[in-house]
Amino acid sequence: MIRVDDLTVAFGGVKAIDALSAQLDAPVCGLIGPNGAGKTTLVNVLSGLVSPSAGRVAVDGADLLGLKPIARVRFGLRRSFQTEQVVEDLSVWDNVRALLDHVPHARGEAASQVARALSHTGLLDVATVMGHRLNLFQRRMLELAKSLVGAPKLLLLDEPGAGLTEQEAGVLRRTIGAVHAFCGAQVLLIDHDVDLIAATCTQTLVLDFGRRLALGPTREVLDDPAVRKAYLGTE
Amino acid sequence: MNASILEGAMPVSDAAPAALAQAALAQAALAQAARRARRSLVLMVACVLLIGWAVPWFANAYWIKTLTSSLALSVAAAGVALLYGQLGLVSLCQYALLGAGGWVALRAGHGLGWPFELSVLAGGLLSCVVGMLAGLPALRLKGLYLALVTMMMAGGFQVVVNVTGFPDGGAGWLGRVFGSERLMMPRPALALSDAAYFRYVAVWLAAVLALIELHRRTRAGRSWALIRRGEAAAVAAGVNILSYQTWAFGLAGFCAGVAGALLAGGVGQLDGRAFTAGESVMLFALTVVGGVYHWAGALIAGLLLRAVPALLTDFGVNGYLAMIFFGVALLHALITAPSGIAGQLMGVVDAVRQRFAAPKDKDAAP
Amino acid sequence: MEDYLPFVISGLGLGAVYALSGVGLVVLYRSSGVLNFAFGAIGALGAYVAWTLLEADWPQGLAWCAAVLAAMALSLAYGRLLAPRLSHRDPTIRSIATLGFALVVVGFTEWTWGEQPRRLVLPTDGGALEFVLGEVEVRLTHTRALGLALAVLMMGGVGLLLSKTRVGLKMRALANDRDLSALLGIRVLGVDTVAWILSGAFAGVCGLLLANIVRLQATLLTFLVIPAFAAAIIGRLHSLPATVAGGIAIGVLEALAITVPGFAAFRTATPFLIALAMIVLYRAGTRSA
Repeated sequence: MIRVDDLTVAFGGVKAIDALSAQLDAPVCGLIGPNGAGKTTLVNVLSGLVSPSAGRVAVDGADLLGLKPIARVRFGLRRSFQTEQVVEDLSVWDNVRALLDHVPHARGEAASQVARALSHTGLLDVATVMGHRLNLFQRRMLELAKSLVGAPKLLLLDEPGAGLTEQEAGVLRRTIGAVHAFCGAQVLLIDHDVDLIAATCTQTLVLDFGRRLALGPTREVLDDPAVRKAYLGTE
Repeated sequence: MNASILEGAMPVSDAAPAALAQAALAQAALAQAARRARRSLVLMVACVLLIGWAVPWFANAYWIKTLTSSLALSVAAAGVALLYGQLGLVSLCQYALLGAGGWVALRAGHGLGWPFELSVLAGGLLSCVVGMLAGLPALRLKGLYLALVTMMMAGGFQVVVNVTGFPDGGAGWLGRVFGSERLMMPRPALALSDAAYFRYVAVWLAAVLALIELHRRTRAGRSWALIRRGEAAAVAAGVNILSYQTWAFGLAGFCAGVAGALLAGGVGQLDGRAFTAGESVMLFALTVVGGVYHWAGALIAGLLLRAVPALLTDFGVNGYLAMIFFGVALLHALITAPSGIAGQLMGVVDAVRQRFAAPKDKDAAP
Repeated sequence: MEDYLPFVISGLGLGAVYALSGVGLVVLYRSSGVLNFAFGAIGALGAYVAWTLLEADWPQGLAWCAAVLAAMALSLAYGRLLAPRLSHRDPTIRSIATLGFALVVVGFTEWTWGEQPRRLVLPTDGGALEFVLGEVEVRLTHTRALGLALAVLMMGGVGLLLSKTRVGLKMRALANDRDLSALLGIRVLGVDTVAWILSGAFAGVCGLLLANIVRLQATLLTFLVIPAFAAAIIGRLHSLPATVAGGIAIGVLEALAITVPGFAAFRTATPFLIALAMIVLYRAGTRSA
């Protein structure tokens, strides 16, 4: 469960996030809004890359802002980026294994955790392939696999499906939908693909100009006329 | 990784037999990759030990001494390659750290009468600590500042060691003695002759290379790879960037210190005037030329630093022409061949291997 | 206090050269993003050219010009032929590559002229300015006086160039954002050329002055330029006034270090100690920022 209280992030005179308050408790939550709405900024605040000017952030009851970025990873926060961050000269296996180096896990369990994550994302058959030989779909799935190890509590996925074909996006959709059942983590999903959001997220937060425009069950939010006007466009 | 990775695997698809088969294939591929990695480690150690054993049969006394120095410098080059190849960090003070390690080893050997191995380790340890302290002020700043800071330190060391010189049998802090009473560094009991000492140094080189290689294959290597990818990737994976960079500095310092001690043992005495800032620059430059991504690069660097100039002198070629050549080689390495001579050689080896490899091997990790 | 004055004066001579070298380094770094480690080597070659011409009885003015021209040519050659091949790499590699160039230049210099140290005696060494400061008699050879004057002129000139001329404006734009400047239509290569030539001129003058103050020996001159990097660090690779102040301070402190008991033998390490101290201070500053 993510709880944001009166969060404000100001860069100079610009307020990227303006007094945002929200509680996200669905297993898979969507975060949508026009470009510049503050979605990535919110994720940056959660992961620790950006410090807010005011407000509080709590995940599963724990105050997040008091933890350094690395400590948040240990706590169970996982984050993927818009441009995938696959390490070219490590194998798929090592890319995922690397995360367990810095996150508490039971002894001897490392291999099975990595194998489970790779199996869930369909990468088990390319486990020994080096990062630089992967295609875009495999890289995106690898980003997801990295987030699944080490008892994660919250996955922050920033446009995980960018650049994928219809078919690939479908596979990604199903995989993301199964994450909560797989490891019990909550997922916060940023994407412009409304179909992906509608198919996977039961609850959605809409941002516009750093402010909360709508929050609620996805179907209701997507039908909301204000949201349609700001983001989806009136037809 | 011995336990079956099939335990707990929860596939997304429903066809259980297909998923089990996939997992079994994956386990086989991983096991094969692990075997290949073990083989290459053993091969590396075997190569170095073979060189150690074989060379004294073919080389004359002068060349054994020269190649001993080459091997000792290869140890230092391995440290430089670690910093630059794994983390992109430019350290221009590694030769100074080599001098510091040599200083400690000489003092321990002469003044405290320690066994040779202990002196070497003491030298390595001091340079490890100094290396970490050197890295700390500059690691938060841009990479160029690190090069500048280390260059400043090398300059400072040059001035200091020029005045203090190296211990050669005297008492007190500096351990200096003059004239005919100057002593040579006592060698280990089983490596008194030049040929035996050459083999001894080869063993140390193999050990250091193996130490670095083991780092690369475990947590440290993975963390360094993440840091190389970018700060965002590293932080997102929970890597404490400063810690791992400092650790690398310490390891590189250890390499330099051990090299200094081995050099002292080989040559017997070290000259305070020979540890200029320029030597650190040369060490860096020729390590890059040799190749920073493969262990053979360190070997090549050692040869370039000592054996090639000796060869040129044999042919009556002016040593400064070698300097021009090395400068050109560095420019070439940086502009066109970032993986250096070793990288290009390995590229040829890989190409040959690919031609004769089975199709399924072609996509696997090297 | 008066006891220290002679040291201060002598330190000013060296300090002016450090300041001048520092400015040459920083101006180039600001416009092209490259810290030229071959600065000292280029200057050294220029000094050897001057030496050869003076030995052949050329007039001093022409010898100086030839030296500066040689340095400018070398600098330009690197800047136009080699630096562009690395323009897409990260700044550290672009600067490290100049180390390769330094090796080539030093190797060539030592090979051509030999490594034995020489004295670069300039005709202006003969006369001197003598005046009294407080109760101390100060004697400045004409060369030193010329050097100081030249240093002041060049540093002032560069300052004016950067702030008052179109070229200077473009150079500052380039330093700020190279890609954006290119998009705005600034002819990057042209401005780069100016920066490299200018830096080469500074290198040539510094080489001459250092060779005169200390001695003419390629490896020594290349080493002596490291204090110039210390000055550049004090200027945070950006501020020219701070670099100048830093260079002069380093020169003066290094000279004064002779008076410190026990430290005199190590006084040439003063620039490095100062640079290291500044870096630690800067780091503490940026961390708290």
